[in-house]
Amino acid sequence: MPLWLGVAPFGLAYAVIARSAGLSLVETQALSLFVFAGSAQVSAVGLFARGANGLAIVLTTFLLNVRHVLYGVSLGRDVHMTRRERLVAAFFLTDEAYGVSIARRTDSYRFVLGAELSLFITWNIATLAGALLGGSIPDPEKLGVDFVFPVAFIALLVPLLRGRAEVAVAVFAGALAWVMAKGLPGGLPVLGAGVGGALLGALLTRGREEL
Amino acid sequence: MTFWLTCAGMVAVTFGSRLTGLSVRTHLPAFWLRFLHFVPISVFAALVTPSLAGSRGEGGIRVVAAALAAVAAWRTRQLGLAIAVGMVAFWLLRLLPG
Repeated sequence: MPLWLGVAPFGLAYAVIARSAGLSLVETQALSLFVFAGSAQVSAVGLFARGANGLAIVLTTFLLNVRHVLYGVSLGRDVHMTRRERLVAAFFLTDEAYGVSIARRTDSYRFVLGAELSLFITWNIATLAGALLGGSIPDPEKLGVDFVFPVAFIALLVPLLRGRAEVAVAVFAGALAWVMAKGLPGGLPVLGAGVGGALLGALLTRGREEL
Repeated sequence: MTFWLTCAGMVAVTFGSRLTGLSVRTHLPAFWLRFLHFVPISVFAALVTPSLAGSRGEGGIRVVAAALAAVAAWRTRQLGLAIAVGMVAFWLLRLLPG
């Protein structure tokens, strides 16, 4: 599946970033094994690097992952599952697995689980490879490896800027976080600007149907 | 210890969101659907700006290298490639005298 081609470099990048943020190999891998949510993991390690407190990191993760409620509702309508199957399917649910399942219009739990597990395995192998690679970089401070944070988030952000409202939200949230970061510690600017920017976007797009 | 507590919290909110969706049958109001669409955009932008300039007085070259990475991301939509372009540009610009 071509999906793996996208997931592998993302997992690799996540792990290199996590290691340069000071996470150990075990910690880097633990997030991939237990949380298993790419953009939330990258954001979390970015916040760890800036010394954000745990609560702010958890709330940012919630903000980023609450969209999974929508995927679940949509999948649960098409695919019938027992209670245990629901628990398993929920643990491994990601944007990509949801995307493939919906594209195939599947009603099969086995198909959903197959898509989910193949992504989980790829993500974790890529994490391990990246964590080993990232750990072997000598003197990361001198190399300026911390620059990888803003660059990684720019690379995640730019493809999402499909319209004027999206650009306006990015500019607003970026500026708000920059101002807030002058006076507030770690994770608060990200959380505040994240909520503020999304509210602005929802207000700007009143009357818009398709997103 | 802080790490593992944070990790447990991240698992709780992530798994919680996923399971809630699979377990309930509901429709979110359109306003909140649009809100969710903009969350990654505003969070990613908010993560970029405070860390862009850095703390070693290299703000100028970091902004230029970041702009090049943005162009690469826009043109190719390849995460790994865009990061590579940004980092290589940064290292090359640092070598310049002055």
